Amino acid sequence: MTWPRLVLRNLLRHPLRTLFTTLSIALSIFLVCAVLTLPGALAAIFERQSSNTRISVHHKAGLTYWLPYAFVRKVRSVPGVAAVNHYSWFGGIYDEPKNLFPNFAMDPETAAQVWPDYGIEPAALERFRKTRNGAVVGEQTMRKFDWRIGQEITLRGTIFPVDLTLEIVGVIPEASGNPVVLWFNRVYLEEAMEPRGGLRFVGMLWVRADRPEHVDRVMQTIADLFRNSEAEVAAETEQAFLTSWFSSFQGFIRVILAVGFLVVGAVVLIAANTSAMGVRERIPEIAVLKSLGFRRRPILLALMAESTLQASIGGVAGAAAAYGILGALRTAGKTGGGMPFLGPLANFQMSPQVAAEGVAIAVVVGLVAGAVPAWNGARLNVVEALRRLF
Amino acid sequence: MAIPLAYNVRNLFVRRWTTAFTMGGIALVVAATMLLAALVGGLQRMLVSTGEPDNLVVLRKGATSDGSSMLPRDAVQALRTLTGVARGPDGEPLASPEIVNQPFVRTTSGNRENVLVRGVEPVALRVHRAVRIVEGRLFRPKLGEVVAGRGAFQRYVPGGLGSRIEFGRRRWTVVGVFDSGGTAFDSEIWADVRDVQDDTRRTGYSGVRLQVAPADREVVIRRVAADGRFTLEAKPEQSYYREQAETANSLYILVLTLAVVMATGAVFGALNTMFAAVSARTAEIGTLRALGFARGTILVSFLTESLLLAAGGLGSGVALAALAVWAVNTLLSGVQFSMMTFSVATVLLRLTPGGALLGLVLAAAIGVLGGIFPAWQAAHLRVVDALHRA
Repeated sequence: MTWPRLVLRNLLRHPLRTLFTTLSIALSIFLVCAVLTLPGALAAIFERQSSNTRISVHHKAGLTYWLPYAFVRKVRSVPGVAAVNHYSWFGGIYDEPKNLFPNFAMDPETAAQVWPDYGIEPAALERFRKTRNGAVVGEQTMRKFDWRIGQEITLRGTIFPVDLTLEIVGVIPEASGNPVVLWFNRVYLEEAMEPRGGLRFVGMLWVRADRPEHVDRVMQTIADLFRNSEAEVAAETEQAFLTSWFSSFQGFIRVILAVGFLVVGAVVLIAANTSAMGVRERIPEIAVLKSLGFRRRPILLALMAESTLQASIGGVAGAAAAYGILGALRTAGKTGGGMPFLGPLANFQMSPQVAAEGVAIAVVVGLVAGAVPAWNGARLNVVEALRRLF
Repeated sequence: MAIPLAYNVRNLFVRRWTTAFTMGGIALVVAATMLLAALVGGLQRMLVSTGEPDNLVVLRKGATSDGSSMLPRDAVQALRTLTGVARGPDGEPLASPEIVNQPFVRTTSGNRENVLVRGVEPVALRVHRAVRIVEGRLFRPKLGEVVAGRGAFQRYVPGGLGSRIEFGRRRWTVVGVFDSGGTAFDSEIWADVRDVQDDTRRTGYSGVRLQVAPADREVVIRRVAADGRFTLEAKPEQSYYREQAETANSLYILVLTLAVVMATGAVFGALNTMFAAVSARTAEIGTLRALGFARGTILVSFLTESLLLAAGGLGSGVALAALAVWAVNTLLSGVQFSMMTFSVATVLLRLTPGGALLGLVLAAAIGVLGGIFPAWQAAHLRVVDALHRA
């Protein structure tokens, strides 16, 4: 009998037991993958390449402190700046108050230069520039409200005393990593606010540096430009901005990771129990193998291979199921909406990397669970074991 | 005649490693579930317990939170003199005009967070009756003094009472600490309403809290909605916070899913253990049957053994969860959540009866489902075959 066949035969000796253990591992890895998706999504947001040249400029005191609109023009003339855009939080409500989603007034002209990585169709941006009340909307929000391109929607203002009717002219694709946001032309809001005292402020600026190596200098220049002015600013990379924005999620993520850790612990115990049972029942066999001249190492390896193979199968099944189910839920639009306090993390977008991590965890579980029983089996005292047998 | 319980207990001790591993697996599953339930329980409790039964929140129509609402000054004046609003013994209307701001505040560990700063007048303490100054005193107007909620004090005021903290456009002196009995206010900083207006360069307010006699409640709500000069909406303070808690309910679905999947994994583990127990004790079962113990008795005995395993797991799981909750609450001083308003609220984990019940149900299900099939098998062994194996 060849070595791989021995491993396989041993696995199939108790088919029910092997099935139970494998299923147990698969379920756990499924959960671990789902749980790791949260910190994984966070990491993905931070790692986005292009955000390294995008700079956030906002009031030093916080995001509720607005900046004079004139700052846009001043920042545009800073050397090393390729393009400037801006965000003004409109906070409009669509239909029902609980339908909260981010909607910003901004500048369609430089959207392509500041967010080239978002992959918005040039034709859509062209329509956005030409339509006074045009809006481009993230794919997920489109799906959530069942909106179509060309549709007119009304956002009810709660901060601004105006309601705005917008025409959807384009979509911000899922791959942008920002598929919930709605952008519309600031000029349209300015016109609506004209009879009520006008609008001379912006929420924050988005600046794109022409080259990555100019980012630090541009940030420094912008911060210096407004020092001791009516509104001192903080300029930081998009990455730093998001990191600090999400720092408040750290505690929550720690709890989630603790739960993941407990799940892995539970499955290690269950798998270790199975392999220990397997070894215990096979003591006579192992003794016979040893008395036939098999050395410790092949016996140890065979036993380890058994638990690792089993765990790997479970891990692959669990990770694949998690990937499939979370993906399907997302496509069905079931995620993202219900948990506003998770912000963009509520998308539950599982990356292939998380799946790989799940499989790796499964392999480690198999190794750990198999190690002690296999070791005990391999260094079994032959005389003792055979005496028990006969 | 029943088989004595000692038989099961001793058997569990004989297979002490298998017992320990299986119990450990169940314990970790129970602990993970209860930890998550404690997180949701804490969040819900904080939100549900916030608010007075006879208070109304008046905001801009459609606004979901006071952070996204703006009221002009004359609307506040109109609400103050509205008939139906309760009055203090001195005849002052119990109407608390408030402005909500979310500046960056540095935590004691140096991170920057959006903190909810509420600008209020001294009357606020008479309207929010759960809020009590427990250390120091209330701020005096126009001096840049603030009082901090218990949670906020711990998180943002490293220097203690009398020290200065920086946020917004200036430095503020912390002159008092207030306690609101674990409600959402504990994560807030309160300052003089005019100081906050100056700091944010805003002239209006975010909303008004009114104290209204229960009998007048509906009338006042209608009166506020009917005022054609402003588009306002009044709702009971408790339902305002309960609406925010609804988002926590969606988390419950997550916890339940997790619990069910994990428990299924643990059932497989218990099945393995119990099937192994039955097959190891085949001869014993045959003997018992030969001695005259009925099938039903044997079934109950093995089921009891499985339930004992589950009970052991439940006990250690609850202990582990309590330890984890204690660790999170004291070492991390709670979990930070970014609320609807994007400001940070600190939630203390709370082991609720609901969470404990969930753990109990889980362990019972694992015990029963993991034990019933092996017990059935044990009860239906043929005596002759079983004894033959001996």
